[in-house]
Amino acid sequence: MAGPVLELRNLTKEIPTGSQEPFVIFKNISLGVKEGEFVSIVGPSGCGKTTLLRVINGLLPTSSGQIFIDGKEQTGADNELVMGFVFQGASLLPWRTSLKNVLLGLEGRKNPGEAEEIARFYLNLVGLSGFENHYPHQLSGGMQQRVNLARALVIDPRILLMDEPFAALDAQTRTFMQLELLRIWSQTKKTVIFITHMISEAILLSDRVIVFSHRPGRIRSEFAVPLARPRNIDIKSDHRFLELENVVWKQIEEEVKASREGSPI
Amino acid sequence: MKGILKLISIFGGGVLWHILATRVINDSALLVSPLVVIDKGYEMLFVTADLYPHIYASSSIFFLGIILATLVGVPLGFLMALSPVVRDCLNPWMTALYSTPRIAFAPVLLLWFGIDLATKVAIVFLGCVFPILINSFYGMRVVSREFVEVGRSFRLSRSRLFLKILLPASVPFILSGLRLAVGRGLTGVAIAEWFGATEGLGYMIFFAGQTLNIPVLFVGVAVFALLGILGFQVLKMIEEFASPWRKELEVK
Repeated sequence: MAGPVLELRNLTKEIPTGSQEPFVIFKNISLGVKEGEFVSIVGPSGCGKTTLLRVINGLLPTSSGQIFIDGKEQTGADNELVMGFVFQGASLLPWRTSLKNVLLGLEGRKNPGEAEEIARFYLNLVGLSGFENHYPHQLSGGMQQRVNLARALVIDPRILLMDEPFAALDAQTRTFMQLELLRIWSQTKKTVIFITHMISEAILLSDRVIVFSHRPGRIRSEFAVPLARPRNIDIKSDHRFLELENVVWKQIEEEVKASREGSPI
Repeated sequence: MKGILKLISIFGGGVLWHILATRVINDSALLVSPLVVIDKGYEMLFVTADLYPHIYASSSIFFLGIILATLVGVPLGFLMALSPVVRDCLNPWMTALYSTPRIAFAPVLLLWFGIDLATKVAIVFLGCVFPILINSFYGMRVVSREFVEVGRSFRLSRSRLFLKILLPASVPFILSGLRLAVGRGLTGVAIAEWFGATEGLGYMIFFAGQTLNIPVLFVGVAVFALLGILGFQVLKMIEEFASPWRKELEVK
């Protein structure tokens, strides 16, 4: 395969504060993501990982640095749809049914008949056939996030950006959705950047786990996950899984401590 | 169950009214029993049929006023929400006009347009336009940032962002503005017809009051109330049609 699907070069995000020093959210992030790779970013709260995802998607402007997708610099100016974004929650349009929500990204880009066929395919893929005409409020939290995922997949993006998609779910549903995501990912082979607080979630899902420092966020370290696919729930008790979880946790703990400087959490 | 409670409440209110009129006050120059009002209403509807011209006159003013107010208020509210320039220019005017009693405009409108349909429609319009405008404005302003981000992440064009995200999200707000406008519009009708009219429910009530014709006065009030209820029902139907998703989100 040629170059990386996504490449970040020295990406920095600052917010001008009006006074002399701008507020730096993350600094000099350089990262390459290969075709079909699943990369997770973990880090302490407020380290700028969600902001990074928004900057990559063009929802926020960069302060400096460049973003390339398939070697093409993203300027935010063109309307080409190459990224699918899965939001944290409550982002489904409440006046649209599941099917119509999933269709959003295809409207005006594909003819209606073809669009609906594709949308139904992805709703089926995320396990929601039969729920096409339900409104978001008629769906459980887990089902809503399935729609959210289908909505991002339906445009056949080059890269899928997922912003803590399971954060609002209860623990059982969350575990179940992680396994579902493994299944769906194995069928679509999308390139994914996945933001999460949960280390075990990152390891279970990813090929590579990136640990962010406290703010201003930098890449502190990265780990290749040494676990074969397809994976299932049993992998969570594998000693390599537990060792990696432990190492990553220690690093995040250090970052949290460094950012608090002695004050209690 | 809900329906039964409503019926009991209406019937109970009628009984109380009847007792108040016939046993407590007992002076038909001040208050008459609801039975007399119903009787009079029946007569005016089906015997003499002299209620219809009044209803027709009042509802024409009302509908013209509220439709005009919607046609002006909704787009202006949207413009204010979307353009900071328009917002800054209109805000002081809107605040001032909104809090001015509309009745203060009536004499000057009378002077401009005369005792004409235009005056009355203008008074109703003034009553309706602000709640519609302000609600359309807020509706579009408070569209959740998340929904707008969804639109932007899918690279919707500006026109699509408006049509697919901003507009549907503000429909419930526009409808609640319209609901306020129904009440204020009917008040406007009454005011307008008091000032200069020879027909209409407002005129009929005013004239009945002057001539101590209490039954006719109450028939007029009742028809106003029924028109208000009708307006609300129509809006409710529009709401159920336009935003069925909304019903489930309401606090039960």
